[in-house]
Amino acid sequence: MLQAEGVQLLCLTASSGVPLFSRGSTKQLPFSVIGSLNGVHMFGGGQGALLSCCETDRGARVVWRVFRDSVMLIAVSSGGDSTVTELQLCRLLENTWNCMVLVLGQEELSNVRNVERLKRDLRSCYRLIDQLLDPGDDESVMGYLTNCADCLLPPNPSLLQEALDAFTQAADSEFGCLLIRGRVAVATEKWWRLVSQEVVLLSLLVRCMSGTTSCDYPVFLPVGSPTVAHRLLRFQLLQGVDVCTLCGPAPSLHHAKTELVGRFWSPLMETLHGLLAQTQHTPVPSIALHPDILALLLINRETSRSLSVPGRPPAVTPQDGVPPLPSSSRRWELLRLFYTFAITRYFTSGEAAAPPAEPLQEDFSQGFCHTPLHCYLVTEECKCYGLQTPQHQLFLLAALTMPTFALRSIATQTLTSITAATGF
Amino acid sequence: MSRVVFHAVKMEYERNKSLGVAPVIPHGPIIVADWHRCPDSKEYFTKIFQKKRRKTFGLLEAPAMPPQIHVDTVRYKIFLAGKSGVGKTALAARLGGSDIPNMHYETTGIETTAVFWPVKLKENGRVLFFKYLFWDCGENALRRFDHLLPSCKEQVDAILFLFSFTDHGSFEDLSNQISRVTDPSDRIVKLVVGTKFDLFMHTDVTEREIASFQETWGLPVFRVGGDVNGGLGEVAPLLNALAEHLWHQDCVAASCVPPSSQV
Ligand SMILES: Nc1nc2c(ncn2[C@@H]2O[C@H](COP(=O)(O)OP(=O)(O)OP(=O)(O)O)[C@@H](O)[C@H]2O)c(=O)[nH]1
Ligand SMILES: [Mg+2]
Repeated sequence: MLQAEGVQLLCLTASSGVPLFSRGSTKQLPFSVIGSLNGVHMFGGGQGALLSCCETDRGARVVWRVFRDSVMLIAVSSGGDSTVTELQLCRLLENTWNCMVLVLGQEELSNVRNVERLKRDLRSCYRLIDQLLDPGDDESVMGYLTNCADCLLPPNPSLLQEALDAFTQAADSEFGCLLIRGRVAVATEKWWRLVSQEVVLLSLLVRCMSGTTSCDYPVFLPVGSPTVAHRLLRFQLLQGVDVCTLCGPAPSLHHAKTELVGRFWSPLMETLHGLLAQTQHTPVPSIALHPDILALLLINRETSRSLSVPGRPPAVTPQDGVPPLPSSSRRWELLRLFYTFAITRYFTSGEAAAPPAEPLQEDFSQGFCHTPLHCYLVTEECKCYGLQTPQHQLFLLAALTMPTFALRSIATQTLTSITAATGF
Repeated sequence: MSRVVFHAVKMEYERNKSLGVAPVIPHGPIIVADWHRCPDSKEYFTKIFQKKRRKTFGLLEAPAMPPQIHVDTVRYKIFLAGKSGVGKTALAARLGGSDIPNMHYETTGIETTAVFWPVKLKENGRVLFFKYLFWDCGENALRRFDHLLPSCKEQVDAILFLFSFTDHGSFEDLSNQISRVTDPSDRIVKLVVGTKFDLFMHTDVTEREIASFQETWGLPVFRVGGDVNGGLGEVAPLLNALAEHLWHQDCVAASCVPPSSQV
């Protein structure tokens, strides 16, 4: 998606500006431009200034960031019609670095002894990085933007939780997670204690491997264990249902697959089949949304988990006099834009959601002496409403037919009914 | 190809004899060749398809036969070995009937792919599902992390050694690969697969080199390449040869090879 919008990602050594790789947009930037981008950043550094972002009058953006004084990542969006926001680019850099650590470990990235060798080794990160640039057709997955784990709420979680806990324990681990269509359905307590970026990346990694039956991947945890690799064992139980554990040296993949998977999960086969069917169109099967809601994103700020719930699908034949509803892929795009808009301008205090570095834009919210709790926006395509409580943030898209004055109560009711029914 | 298979069976026999195992060896193939083309195989092969494409099976799933037909499943672990970029991940996808990646993304650990393959035994007409688990481990990950190779070798039944027709180095690397993952006394089925045969215009490996390799090592060499079109013709020779060798190996191990007179 970012790729389609002409985003290019560059990686250079921080000390000497040697290019390590470039991904994304098929039209590569000429070497001289890459050199200049590195040059201006270095020049700033020499003057005691940190250059982190710039924007051209045609809407092109460049974002810089140096990691561990050793690697510089630069993201460039070409502007024009594209709607790539600064927040998206910042997240892209962060996530890219985390992917590099996940695969190679922090040591190799921080102490670069042999640039040629690092260049070669970095190729092993391309699959994940390209996935960040182009997450594929499942557009409702937003973890790489929100830094919250994309979740799904099964109607009968206790059965699954029990099986997962027992399975994880049998695999000599405390970290276990069950993913349905790439979203976390249940996880062990320890899995939830991983920082949310790690949960997001591990889910991303599992989504990359959808065609295969199981895996044993060495992974470094960017925050929890950046220098010692763990083993990510993943088993595809059914198509669309994966169970993962983070393990030490034992058990072997062969053992876990032949001895453990069947023992703990065969009894739940029917449940899992049922769950797949129930969640085909929504991650929260127990909830019926107001028919004018197009899509919503609900974030639990305390647990860093999120739900992206689609609304009523667009009608096949548009009716006279009624403006056509945006397509479902456009809805997710609008929701991403509204989320970005709201959290960079209004809901800036939430640590989990705010951009990592200093606020990069002129600080709009500083003009307020209060913290906004609600915001709304009416566009030509839809109406948007955002609200936050100490525990939640809700971002909601509604059809133009919904009266603006009703947005607030519908949003509030929706939040209450989801949290009351699911405990999310 | 059947000649090659037979040759390999004979090799196996000779080796087993030298180990003191001396079962009777069948003359010729044990399984029905090209069974997927016979009308009586249809009800079995349809079970590995879904909406005209090969079905992917999760670990809890298996082809769903009607209750009155009982089919046994035999499971085998098969390791794919070969230099980075020869096409191990692509071969696993091809055999499983999914699209092959058109980019080379290094595999950064072990991934396994399950493939169900219906087989009919010549001797008694019995039908079996062979469940192959292909173990694909990225070569660079294998070098970086010591625990991966032992894991791939644990209880392995067969190894496919891959080389690419467009990379002579990968062909030269075969002997290294073979000595790294096997030792002469093991009972593992070994086959060699040359990938990217569709790019024969750019081929780097000559037929003569392959003939001489076959002579030296006594291992059959298969050729694969091209886009996956979902048909069985492109994967059947390799999957059937694996079935042939593995079943034979099992019979040897259990000393229950069918008497030659019946074949
Ligand atoms: N034309 C053609 N290309 C192929 C074939 N098999 C593989 N390739 C290409 O070769 C490249 C490398 O294939 P992979 O399967 O990813 O290589 P690998 O052996 O798994 O490599 P590592 O995981 O790094 O060990 C990919 O770009 C594939 O598209 C083939 O039969 N024909
Ligand atoms: Mg591979």
